[in-house]
Amino acid sequence: MSEIKGKVLKHSEQTRTMHWVHLICFIILGLTGIAFYFDIAGIVNLFGGEAAASDVHHWTGVIFTLAPLVYVLFNFERFAKFIDTITTFTKDDLGWLKTMGGYIPFIKAEHIPPQDKYNAGQKMLGLLVIAGCILMIVTGFPMWLLKHSMPPVLVWLTWKIHFWTAVILILAVLGHFFLAAIHPKSRVEFASMMIDGYVDAEYTSHHNAKWFAELKKAE
Amino acid sequence: MNIFVEKSGITRRQFFKGAGILAATAVFAGVLAKIGIDIYKASDKYIEKRIAGLYTLDEKMTIRKSHENPEIIQIYKEFLSPGEVRPLSEKAHHLLHTKYGNDIPKLITELTAHGGHHAA
Amino acid sequence: MNTVATKEIINIDEKKCKSCDHCTSVCPTGAIQGRIGVKHYIDHKKCVNCGQCLINCPFGAITDISMVEKVKKALADPQKFVVVQTAPAVRVALGEEFGLEPGTNVKGKMFASLRKLGFDKVYDTEFTADLTIMEEGTELIHRIFAHAGVPGYEKEGPLPQFTSCCPAWIKYAEDKYPKILPHLSSAKSPQQMFGAVAKTYAAEKLGINPADMFVVSVMPCTAKKFECQREEMIASGFQDVDAVITTRELAQMIKEAGIDFRSLSNEEQADRLIGTSTGAATIFGVTGGVMEAALRTAYEILSGQSLGVVEFKAVRGRKPVREATVNIPVKELGKTVPLNVCIVTGLSHVDGVVEDVLAGRSKYHFIEVMNCPGGCINGGGQPIRRDTY
Repeated sequence: MSEIKGKVLKHSEQTRTMHWVHLICFIILGLTGIAFYFDIAGIVNLFGGEAAASDVHHWTGVIFTLAPLVYVLFNFERFAKFIDTITTFTKDDLGWLKTMGGYIPFIKAEHIPPQDKYNAGQKMLGLLVIAGCILMIVTGFPMWLLKHSMPPVLVWLTWKIHFWTAVILILAVLGHFFLAAIHPKSRVEFASMMIDGYVDAEYTSHHNAKWFAELKKAE
Repeated sequence: MNIFVEKSGITRRQFFKGAGILAATAVFAGVLAKIGIDIYKASDKYIEKRIAGLYTLDEKMTIRKSHENPEIIQIYKEFLSPGEVRPLSEKAHHLLHTKYGNDIPKLITELTAHGGHHAA
Repeated sequence: MNTVATKEIINIDEKKCKSCDHCTSVCPTGAIQGRIGVKHYIDHKKCVNCGQCLINCPFGAITDISMVEKVKKALADPQKFVVVQTAPAVRVALGEEFGLEPGTNVKGKMFASLRKLGFDKVYDTEFTADLTIMEEGTELIHRIFAHAGVPGYEKEGPLPQFTSCCPAWIKYAEDKYPKILPHLSSAKSPQQMFGAVAKTYAAEKLGINPADMFVVSVMPCTAKKFECQREEMIASGFQDVDAVITTRELAQMIKEAGIDFRSLSNEEQADRLIGTSTGAATIFGVTGGVMEAALRTAYEILSGQSLGVVEFKAVRGRKPVREATVNIPVKELGKTVPLNVCIVTGLSHVDGVVEDVLAGRSKYHFIEVMNCPGGCINGGGQPIRRDTY
């Protein structure tokens, strides 16, 4: 394989900022939520005791909602491209899913098809996170602001949806963190989202061959 | 060193997908709100139905006024105010009336001192 | 006197509480402490035992104390003569536990099932509801005479008169507004009147030793469990009402006994003596019902005329605070007196009305207060509904 020199700008500054804000909110919301569910005094006290922890969860939820909203409004092009990428599934994506991109040790992966800017797994995560966040938001706000007028059955329903979506999201985000920051095959991507936005061109040409071809064409 | 950057501008397809998902989210939230409002409206219909049930029962009763209840007339004539129908009789006061708040301890003393109904 | 079971009727199971904070919005007295994310608990000093939080808890984490075992023990004891009374609101809700629509009249089936459960006499709280109207209505008439300066009524209490059937309202008034207590009708609630006459009048007529009589009431209400344990409720010489079970608990007992409730005859009647009732007593279970029943009797007694139409539709409805004026031609005063009445359903709405009375601003003569929104039919002991369509 030929040596490819250079770097690829994968994530813009706005995208990285939004990712950071959302990440911090997610951690705070997750921690307070877990503390509420398991009644863990240690975590509750970390956020200033019972009353404060409750407020922290609510107002962090507001930022958690506004951050992506503001991002989408000011970066509609990026958002639209992202949506297009993650909602497009081709034969190559199915091929990736069949071998799980070679990430699972027990699945033999002799040939992994070329991928877009995001591989099939990342696409699925993107869809899951968007759907999950929407569910968290549409159940969270009523439980907070409409608790006095909601009938019990709706409180029950929103609570259950909020809880199970949270479980799924936390597990998904843990997997995301593992692959993006720890797994030796893909951790080089960590810096692109968390620090400067760049990935090695060579890495990209392997992992996101289809996207890299497009970039080269645009040169 | 080469720096590869995505070119700006989006295709029609990308625009419609982006706008579409925003619209879909809005519609989704609207549908949920509608479901929520429907459940809200249905959630206390049972109160109305139970109220209607009691009013219907009332309409079906042949006697609909308390003072015309034959057993009420009987209990006054035979027990509470012998020989007549006279509410607030002494016996009625003892058995059917009470006191509230700070007057209760005195009432209890009275009731226990009298040994209850038998001495009244 | 029986030993007092407990006066902390309503409790939150901390293990089941999901900290959703829904209960604080239905609690009429602010007795529940907590907020979203924080386990809730009940301040029993402020709690009026109404059970609204119980029937509205999305997670079924709130429970009321049970006297079912006590009732079963009494039923199994051949020495005990077990008498049961059923509140009006029970008969239009009990069927729901057996798959019937809300509001279905299962009066006869209810009496039949109580007989099958082994109660020696099946009476009706509606009888004492009529008795309540006689006493409370007469008391109101006397207060009105006192207010009008009729000689001989100087010792009567002040106007307006409040109803006293709702034990949650009584506890609330005692706790928060001791100054309003003289305005409360001194008449006991129908449940307690029943206990008192059952262990005296009925025991005498039936030739039963009142010490062997065990009075059970089936109530749509959890606060009645508190009321029956009040220390002053011993007018018969014994604890007047020995045990209270809710509509839900009766349904549970019927199911456990293997009784096919739906196939029972709906034509059965309560036993005679203290079991006959009128339509006026039936509507006690609805907000405005006590008021309407009292008006039917007060109007006829005061005017000496028979009412053509017995319904007073003006007092009906579900608005939390309603008012109406009824013009009554009072024979004794020789003039028509406008009787201003007010109905409050939902204790959280009562404060304004009470404060008006205390400040002397109130124009009402008679005020009905019921804790539960809609009246006893929506009481804390009723079947729990989660209707979605």
